[in-house]
Amino acid sequence: MMRSNATAMTNAAAAAEPARRGLPPRAKSALMQAGLFAAPFAAFGVFLLFYGVNPIDLYVSMFTSAFGNRYGFGEVLIKATPILLTGLAAALPARAGMINVGGEGQLAIGALLSTAAAVTMLQAAPAWFGIPAMLLAGALGGAIWAGITALLRVKGNMNETITSLLLNYVAFYTVGLFVHGPLKDPASFNWPFSPPISDALRLPVLNGSRLHAGIAIAVVLAAAVWWVLSRTRLGFRIRVLGANAFAAERAGFRVSRMQLLTLVAAGALAGIAGMIEIAGIEGRLRPTTGANYGYLGFLAAWMAWNHPLRLVATSFLLGMIAVAGNSLEMNSGLPSSSVHILMALVLIFLLAGGRIGRGRRA
Amino acid sequence: MSGEILLQAKGVTKRFGSLTANRNIDLEVRSGTIHAILGENGAGKSTLMKMLYGVYVPDEGEFRMDGETVELHPPAKARARGIGMVFQDFRLVPAMTVLDNIALAEHGGGFRLRRKRLRERIREVSDRYGLKVDPDAWVWQLDLGQRQRLEIVKALMSENARVIIFDEPTSVLAPQEVEAFLDLLRRLRADGYGVLLITHKIREVLACADHVTVLRAGEVVWSAGREAGWDEAALVRAMIGDKSLQQVGRRNGPHGEPGGEKAPAEPEPFVTITGGVIKGDHGEMVLADVRLEARAGEILGVAGISGSGQRELAEALFGLRALAEGELRVAGRPMPADPRAFIEAGVTFVSEDPLRDSVIPGFTILEHMVLDGLPMKPKGAGIDWRGVREALEASGEARALALADPGRMADTLSGGNVQRMVLTRALLRKPKALIVSYPSRGLDIGTTRVIQQRLIELAESGTAVVLFSEDLDELLALSDRIVVLSGRRLHGPYRTEETDAAAIGSRMLKGESA
Repeated sequence: MMRSNATAMTNAAAAAEPARRGLPPRAKSALMQAGLFAAPFAAFGVFLLFYGVNPIDLYVSMFTSAFGNRYGFGEVLIKATPILLTGLAAALPARAGMINVGGEGQLAIGALLSTAAAVTMLQAAPAWFGIPAMLLAGALGGAIWAGITALLRVKGNMNETITSLLLNYVAFYTVGLFVHGPLKDPASFNWPFSPPISDALRLPVLNGSRLHAGIAIAVVLAAAVWWVLSRTRLGFRIRVLGANAFAAERAGFRVSRMQLLTLVAAGALAGIAGMIEIAGIEGRLRPTTGANYGYLGFLAAWMAWNHPLRLVATSFLLGMIAVAGNSLEMNSGLPSSSVHILMALVLIFLLAGGRIGRGRRA
Repeated sequence: MSGEILLQAKGVTKRFGSLTANRNIDLEVRSGTIHAILGENGAGKSTLMKMLYGVYVPDEGEFRMDGETVELHPPAKARARGIGMVFQDFRLVPAMTVLDNIALAEHGGGFRLRRKRLRERIREVSDRYGLKVDPDAWVWQLDLGQRQRLEIVKALMSENARVIIFDEPTSVLAPQEVEAFLDLLRRLRADGYGVLLITHKIREVLACADHVTVLRAGEVVWSAGREAGWDEAALVRAMIGDKSLQQVGRRNGPHGEPGGEKAPAEPEPFVTITGGVIKGDHGEMVLADVRLEARAGEILGVAGISGSGQRELAEALFGLRALAEGELRVAGRPMPADPRAFIEAGVTFVSEDPLRDSVIPGFTILEHMVLDGLPMKPKGAGIDWRGVREALEASGEARALALADPGRMADTLSGGNVQRMVLTRALLRKPKALIVSYPSRGLDIGTTRVIQQRLIELAESGTAVVLFSEDLDELLALSDRIVVLSGRRLHGPYRTEETDAAAIGSRMLKGESA
């Protein structure tokens, strides 16, 4: 039954174009959107049934773990924050016609640089100065890392998808090098992590949860990226470049400079995600700080068709699924990583339904 | 004319939208003959061949083989009937071997590949016609001539192949290869194949064809066997037509009668190339020793058979392509290869492929207008779109060219409307120099006239116009001087009033394959 449901969806998608009878198009489109949202959960339900898990019970418990209380909801937002920022790091270059898979590495180097700044220079700094300074250091770290990709693209004509992806590994080991070496906490009994940053540098936290101010920063930045893309001359040029690079060149744009700028800005956004992970959650740098957020952000960006405001919603959705993964493990005995299947299904169905959403513009 | 009729077209018509690409065509291919189809670019040769090979379905008319009406679409059916085609743009997979490429097209049914049998057959065909095709060579290693021979082997692989269509076969061959190729055609003829040769090179036709059909504007204007007697002049006349001499549009604007009131004496050269060497996308020589002067207030026409370097020259004139050697100056200043510098110097550009180069998916016509057209009126950090729209509507250009509604998405426009959009934009800019390629492509007669008129007026207002066109009539009607691209050289300029279609036409055709 689940399967026939899924088939019906694809058929509907195929038939949507030529003949739309019955319902008014708007209602039909809303119905399709709802169907596309439900379809991955249905398909994942089939998977759960194979493992003898009741999908309805599980979805209910997933839902309550994410929305049942303040703590759970806070966790969703905490997860959504870095996903949103690395999502922006993927979406912004995508609008300029480039694919940045390097959110992961840019986040890591952002975390590294902000931690380094925090533990070496800002230990005694007051919050009003220290937190912005740390944020800038994080942004700088991500920008530098993306800058490497950008330079290779602009000067060396190398594919930014490949270089940004490969630099993720370099970033991972660079962070490892520092937490095992120069940045290692002398009081750590040889565990690979940095000394803690000072309490003054921790982001303010909402009472009764771990929720910190990072989500506000991320949402503001998403709004800013949306504004730049849709409301400014620069954004217009970026979108022209992304939609037709030939046309951009023939209109006399400084294409290389724009590509460089966009990638560096994207890196800065991912770097800020790294800083938020340090200042909001971890308090110190570990080799695995922020791991996987870069890829989740990339996923979120694709799901949102690189639209910054929709990205807020898709990040939230992925954050919810990620939090629900914990309850999956506790309640059903499935490994928590099986939520990745659910995430992948969500992506697949959203991409399949892409034609519906694609017409909209920033 | 000898031989039985292998393939016959009767009253075949093909339309694309409002354009009739082929009208009421009759054609016969007989065994043991070489039948040449001559015509200028856009005359409808390729459309006809694609129908014969089953790519297109004719709107009217029929094809007959062995006395009965046959259905040739899709190409698999045409192939099954024994029709093979050697395309101009090869359909080969470079990362595969010759054998595998042939297996792709022709694996003789069944699930298994049967490489051994294929290899033997390739050897057999290749040896018979001296094609020297090695089944185990990688396609990416082959030069263009070898690739073409591979395509020929592909077409001959099928045991029942009877009609072979060659689409502009010699355009990729070096002069010394052409002779060998013509020998191959003669051998195919001797073996009883019916050969259809699409070309615009009269020399080759004279060298080997038994029958010639000339297409012009989609119609057969001339068809005769060798025994009827023909010569080069007759063929050129048939191809180009003599209507150019009675063209009504010629100098009907305030452009001055030939030799009449000539605008200011010897205007200043605005864009110049001296000693220019232009190379293609793969570093191949496209044009050497280019000397070009586009003068303010004049239209410089560029004629040439398609693929003679028009695109590369146009790109060089807008900084999209660096000169390999030589110097390009605008208003006396040497220019870097950067479109931005050209735009700042007042040069603007209408690409030969606006769909690829200019149309931005998801953007409205209005949004296209601020890209090297109307100024991007600022409003805060954004753009004052209302102001841009007012500026667009205030100018006469949009109305004169019947531009579609500015709010429409450009990627939903027809080819003609796209053309209107890019031309409107170029005219709005009031450039000091305009590089324009094929302005009337895809447009109806009325709009074509309007655009031609605008180009003349633009030139009169002091703009240097470089006009690339495949329509000789248009070039002769608009240009003050004409240069001809042919054989990797730029010939001319010739003053329009001192030349005619026949002279330019033979310039275009000769110098090639010689």
